[in-house]
Amino acid sequence: MKNLTIRNLSKTYFDPYAGTNVTAVHDVSLNVGQGEFVCIVGPSGCGKTTILNMIAGFIPHTGGEILVGGRPVKGPGPDRGVVFQSFALFPWRTVLENVAFGPKMRGVRKAEREKIAHEYLALAKLTEAAGRYPAELSGGMQQRVGVVRALANEPDVLLMDEPFASVDAQTRMTLQEELTRIWQEKRPTVIFITHDVAEAVFLANRVIALSKGRVLEEIDVDLPRPRSWDSLNDDARFKELSGRVRQLVRSA
Amino acid sequence: MLHRLSSALWFCAPFIVLLVLWAVFIPYFDVNPRLFPHLSSVVQAGIEGIQDGTLIQHIKASLLRVAVGTVLALIIAVPLGVAMGVSPIVSSFLTPLFRFFSVLAGIAWIPIATLWFGYGFGAITFVIFNAVFFIVTYNTLLGVSTIPLHVRNAAASLGAGRWAMLTEVLLPGALPNIVTGIRTGLGFAWRGLIAAEMIATNVGLGYMLFVARDFYRTEVIVLGMIVIGVLWLLLDRLVLAPIERATIERWGMVQRA
Repeated sequence: MKNLTIRNLSKTYFDPYAGTNVTAVHDVSLNVGQGEFVCIVGPSGCGKTTILNMIAGFIPHTGGEILVGGRPVKGPGPDRGVVFQSFALFPWRTVLENVAFGPKMRGVRKAEREKIAHEYLALAKLTEAAGRYPAELSGGMQQRVGVVRALANEPDVLLMDEPFASVDAQTRMTLQEELTRIWQEKRPTVIFITHDVAEAVFLANRVIALSKGRVLEEIDVDLPRPRSWDSLNDDARFKELSGRVRQLVRSA
Repeated sequence: MLHRLSSALWFCAPFIVLLVLWAVFIPYFDVNPRLFPHLSSVVQAGIEGIQDGTLIQHIKASLLRVAVGTVLALIIAVPLGVAMGVSPIVSSFLTPLFRFFSVLAGIAWIPIATLWFGYGFGAITFVIFNAVFFIVTYNTLLGVSTIPLHVRNAAASLGAGRWAMLTEVLLPGALPNIVTGIRTGLGFAWRGLIAAEMIATNVGLGYMLFVARDFYRTEVIVLGMIVIGVLWLLLDRLVLAPIERATIERWGMVQRA
């Protein structure tokens, strides 16, 4: 795992409906240290997904630079694992084969990559599901697969694009707790995009509040780990931090 | 198992009723066998055809043409469809063309095919090839272009290069459409085959039917029609449907019918 540096990042594109250039991301700078968990939080249309897509290399940036471990980003690559809101699993592959996909692309032998996949599936309590196809799993289980598929490839940075937005509220809380547990065990560098303030504060070491394509403020989250909803729901510090972030995001 | 047996029986029921009506009413009204045969004489014609080997010979000739034409078409259509589907510009440019040729009846190719290949195997296989080729290419193209961008992005961010993207994502992702294309294409091919064989050859099921007419042998004509229908049902139920079940239904990419 390596650190991620974003300097004066911007994205401007031509909007054919408005007939003008629109700037979705303004001059965003950000440093994410190795093993850090950073959440970018903001309302719909604030540019957070655009930032993530640029880091992932899915879309080009129009200004500034993105460096992973000191090297500039040019297109998608296995140094940046991505977890998608829509899961984006391969329906024609079993759960095991989905998780083994990254190692397979690196040329890892079948026996070895299946061992790796089994290890990561166990981490997310998915051992039972190894032989099943994604369509046979619930949304929550599919996204567990999505998370460990990205992790099993041991990326330098893990990019998560509102990964829990399309599962039900109970499952979401379980997934959030599991993610913090897995993060503590593996300590990947994570950038997590969300519009859910409580989720951001619950997960992150640091929350970046974003609005209209600009960084409003960075807030350090000093809550102790391991974190669970049972203990944090009535935690004064959690409420204070969430309140501050919420105010920032709403006032902008 | 019991469910499958009962659904198979249910499938056969209307045919059994039809056979019974045929066996009863044709003799009852004393229909001229030059206009429509008795069931017994059709069965007789079938037994004779199997015994003297002519029926088997016709079936073999027809099936060989279908197999060769289809396999050749698939070998070219699938890679071409994928290549076209990868590029949105190429695919939108060529789509109208492939739609046009997909709906053009296979039999319309026969006159030009006989000029190019002469009467016989070449011309008929060409008709089959066309019927399968255009539909499968078009469906493959469609299948590739409907793979969600997220899935392609996921593969790219897991380290898939161009070749892996093709074999691991684009081909399996397009498979539901490819299978649909093969099923429709083969359906057209089968119909085109019979028509083409009436015109452009001296062996095959279509030829068997057409020649029987010259001798007023309605029992051979009806036998041929039955064989043509039954062969198609067997092909569809025993070859195509199981492929679909084993792949795309298992993957949840189509709704179970």
